Amino acid sequence: MDNLIFELKNVFFSYLERFPALSDVNLNIRPGEKLTVVGANGSGKSTLLHMLDGLIFPGRGTIKAFGADLKEGVFNDENFSKNFRRKVGLIFQNPDVQLFCPTAKEDIIFGPLQLGIEKEEIENRLEELTGVLNLKDLLDRPPHQLSVGEKRKVALASTLIIDPDVLILDEPTAGLDPLTTRHIINLLVQSNDSGKTIIISTHDLRLAEEISDIIYVFSPGKRIVKSGKPEEILSDGQLLRDNNLIHSYSHKHKNTTHIHPHLH
Amino acid sequence: MIKNNFIESSISGGLSFLKESVFSDDYASQKGFLQSLDPRIKTATLLLFVVQVLLTKQIVVLLCLYAVSLLLAFLSKIHLGFFLKRTWVFIPLFSLFIAFPAIFSIFTPGETLATLKIAGLELIVTRQGLSGAALFVTRVITSVSFVVLLSTTTKHFKLLKVLRIFGIPQVFVMTLGMCYRYIFLFVGIIENTYLAIKSRVGTKVHSKRGQRIVASNIASLYQRSYRLNEDVYQAMLSRGYNGEPLVLNNFKAGLRDWLWLLCVLTIFVTLTIA
Ligand SMILES: Nc1ncnc2c1ncn2[C@@H]1O[C@H](COP(=O)(O)OP(=O)(O)OP(=O)(O)O)[C@@H](O)[C@H]1O
Ligand SMILES: [Mg+2]
Repeated sequence: MDNLIFELKNVFFSYLERFPALSDVNLNIRPGEKLTVVGANGSGKSTLLHMLDGLIFPGRGTIKAFGADLKEGVFNDENFSKNFRRKVGLIFQNPDVQLFCPTAKEDIIFGPLQLGIEKEEIENRLEELTGVLNLKDLLDRPPHQLSVGEKRKVALASTLIIDPDVLILDEPTAGLDPLTTRHIINLLVQSNDSGKTIIISTHDLRLAEEISDIIYVFSPGKRIVKSGKPEEILSDGQLLRDNNLIHSYSHKHKNTTHIHPHLH
Repeated sequence: MIKNNFIESSISGGLSFLKESVFSDDYASQKGFLQSLDPRIKTATLLLFVVQVLLTKQIVVLLCLYAVSLLLAFLSKIHLGFFLKRTWVFIPLFSLFIAFPAIFSIFTPGETLATLKIAGLELIVTRQGLSGAALFVTRVITSVSFVVLLSTTTKHFKLLKVLRIFGIPQVFVMTLGMCYRYIFLFVGIIENTYLAIKSRVGTKVHSKRGQRIVASNIASLYQRSYRLNEDVYQAMLSRGYNGEPLVLNNFKAGLRDWLWLLCVLTIFVTLTIA
C-alpha cells in the first residue's frame, strides 16, 4: 500500500471558489497502471489531471504524490519541484496553451532544458521523437501556424521528451487522424510496457477500452460515480448513457459482451 | 460594403504586420553576419552604436553611422525594403510632433530661410531650425535602425537571456517574456474571433450590429486572453520552468566576436574623443 504514486482523499476543488470542479474525489494510482478518466464535458476531468500534475491544489481534502503531501508551498523547494517535474508530465487538452516558443523545436526542448537534462541527451531524444511522430517538417515552423493536429503532436513531443515516469494526457487523440491516433496509442502502450504509468482523459470509449486497466467515470456532478475494469464499465449501458458517453439510440444494437456503443 | 472591406483588410493587415514584426524569426535564423555573432557581444555592440548616435552632434557622422547600419543589414541578409519599412515606420510620428514644429522660428529662432503664409499666419523657417530637425530625424532613424537590427537578427528567447546576463532584474525580463506571449495569444484570439464572427454573421455585418459584436468581443477578449495566459503559465510550470528561461546554445564568443567588439570600440572611442 506504500507503493502509491498518487493518493487522493476526499478532494474538493472549485475555480475562484465559485465554480465547483471536483467533488469528493477519492483515487489511488499505482505505478505502472494504465488509467482512463471518462465523463461528459465539464465533469472535471481536466481539473483532476491538472491537480495530479501539481498545478492546482485541493480546496478541501488531500493529495499525496510519491508519499509526499502536495500543497501550494512544496514547489518552492527547487529540488522537489525539479524531481516532480521530471517524474510527471502533462499534455494539455488545448495545445495552444502548451506551445509558447517561437518554433516547434524550441517548444519541444523547452522542458528538458529547464530541467537541466544534458544537451547531447536532449538532441538524441529530439531526433528519436522526430522520427516516431514524424515531425521533421514542423520543427522550424512557428507553432501558431500549425494545424490543430500538428500542434497536438508537437505538444505531445514536448512532454514525451522529458521521459517522465508518469504520463498524464488530456484527450490526446482528439482531432488526430486515424493513423496518427494509432501511432500514439501504440506509443503509449509501449511506454506502459516499459513501466510507465499512464493517465488519460478521453471521450473515446474505444481508446479507453483498449488502453486501460481501470476506468473512472465522472458524472456531471463532478464526482466519480463508478470505477472498474473496462469490460465492467463499458457493458453498463445505463451508466454510459447517464453520463453522455453514448447516445441512447446506440442501444438499438443489442451488443452482448464486446461493445463499441458510441460508434453507431 | 466598401467600408467593411476596408475594415477587414486593415484588421488582417495589422495582424499580419504585428505577427511579422513580433514573431517572425525568419531573419534571426538566416546565416548572416549579425546572426553569426555571439548574442552578448552583438547586443553590447549594437547598443554601443545607439549610445554613440545619441552623443553625436554632427550630421555627417550620423549619416555615416546610418550607412553602417544599412551595411550591417545587408551583411545580415535582411531585405532592404523590409528593413526600411520597419525603421521608417516610426519617423512620421516623431517628425510630426517634434521635428516639424522645430523648423519654424517660433521654436528655433535664427537665420531666415523661407517664409510660409498659412491662413494669414506668417511662419518663418530658420536655418538652425531646419538643421536641428534634420539632425533629430537622422538621429532617430539611425538609433531605431540599430535596435531593429538587434531585434530582427536575434531570437527572442536569446535576447531575454542576454538581458539577464547584463544584470537586468529577473522580474523585468520575465515581464517582457510574458508580454511577448501575451501578444502572441492576443493575435491568435483576435484572428479567431474575427473568423468566428464572420462565419456566424457573414462579412456584410450591419454596422450597428457589427459595433455591438465588436464591443462585446473586446470585453471578453481581455478575459479570455487573461485566462489563456494563466494556462500558458501553468504549462510552462508543468515542464519545469522556474522563472529563468534557458536556451539551448550556451553562448560562446569566438575570435571574430572579439575582433568585431574591438572594431566597434575603436570607432566609439575615436568618435567620442574627436
Ligand atoms: N478557469 C476556470 N474558471 C472557472 N471555471 C472553470 C475553469 N476551468 C474549468 N472550470 C469549470 O470547472 C468544471 C470542470 O472543468 P474541466 O475543464 O475539468 O472539465 P472537463 O471534464 O475536462 O471537460 P471537457 O471534456 O470539456 O474537457 C466545469 O464546470 C468548468 O466550467
Ligand atoms: Mg477537459
